[in-house]
Amino acid sequence: MIDPAHGGTDAGAHGDTSIEKDVVLQMARSVRAALERQGFRVVLTRNDDSNPSYDDRAGIANVYRDAVFVSLHASSMGAVGTVRAYYMQFAAPIAATPVAASAAPNSAPEKPVPAVALASWEDAQRPYVVASRRLADQLQGEFAQAFSGSPPYSAGVPVRALRSVTVPAVAVEVSSVSATPDQLAALGDPLGNAIARAVEAFRQGGGGR
Amino acid sequence: MPRGVKIALGLLVLGLIVGLISFRGIQRRVKRLAESQTADEKARHEVLAQPITTASDVTQTARIFWAAGSDRIAPVEVQLPLSANPVERCRQLLHELTANPPTSGQRTIPADTTVLGFYILPDGTAIADFSDTLSSETPSGILSEEMVVNSIARTLESNVAGLRRLKILIHGQEVDTLAGNVDLTGFFDLNSAPVAAPQTTAQAASAAKPTH
Repeated sequence: MIDPAHGGTDAGAHGDTSIEKDVVLQMARSVRAALERQGFRVVLTRNDDSNPSYDDRAGIANVYRDAVFVSLHASSMGAVGTVRAYYMQFAAPIAATPVAASAAPNSAPEKPVPAVALASWEDAQRPYVVASRRLADQLQGEFAQAFSGSPPYSAGVPVRALRSVTVPAVAVEVSSVSATPDQLAALGDPLGNAIARAVEAFRQGGGGR
Repeated sequence: MPRGVKIALGLLVLGLIVGLISFRGIQRRVKRLAESQTADEKARHEVLAQPITTASDVTQTARIFWAAGSDRIAPVEVQLPLSANPVERCRQLLHELTANPPTSGQRTIPADTTVLGFYILPDGTAIADFSDTLSSETPSGILSEEMVVNSIARTLESNVAGLRRLKILIHGQEVDTLAGNVDLTGFFDLNSAPVAAPQTTAQAASAAKPTH
């Protein structure tokens, strides 16, 4: 599942000649082509200048039980040509976080999710955070090799687009919208190939369960 | 020309003149109102932007987290008069973070941002209420929004004991995201992550050069 962020009246980040909603849609199409060449089935949450709500995007993703969700973004800052992967970071419940031992806010154990279970829509991603982090690390490893200057590790951030997704979910942000259109277009294929390699490695490593 | 048409045209012209006069009056009133709001906002900002001093202030070393390059933050040690009262201390720290970055390249919080309110609940939850500027002037993007939130959270946790989590409000309201990406409906953990070694102000200024 590829989710080009923003769209419609929500332009996202603004560069001199580019805006995020257009950059990520073009990039999503390149990534889809690269993934399909590797044999993946790819669904886009939007394929035009529309702006589905966060809930609509999560709803599209949550229909699929064996998917991964990659939300594509372009940043306002950061060294041009670098790419970062993020997984959802939830705050620890206050009752379970004594100050001296609160180092694992995403500490939901990686255990099988029951086939039928009620989950709060507001934090539906919580049971998948460990798997999402593994996917984000796999992606960041590929990005560090393919895009010089990219950090070696993924980061946990409360990204709104990931909160209600019930499959392993990450946000991928390319730096930045201040790059020239040619520079941004050139990132599409290598980004797609890097994502394809990471998703394949993630699946071979056990996937989301 | 029939008499009825002449009367209609006359009324139309009269209506047009009255409309133009009213329109100019409305324009003037809107302009006066806007100027008055700007002046009020400026006065409020000047009051809120004053350094906060309390009777228990003692000058000490504080670690303020500003930008160190285009994609990370790092602590800078500065000498600040800080209150013994944790709420006032937090306000002083956030004022320093917002108003006095060593260089413009190290700024993480938009320049005109003010702290409208600050509270600490008995369970260690800190609630920081910022002016709209924090949301409207922060560049959209996960990286940029993360740097804003982290600079606030790391600055507070490094200098105020007992804080466990942070809630960020914008103009007294819970908002969905900071600038389109980072979720502000939840809390941010404090005192849970290791921090980098502090830099001196000079080191930090050199580290703040853009990397692209």
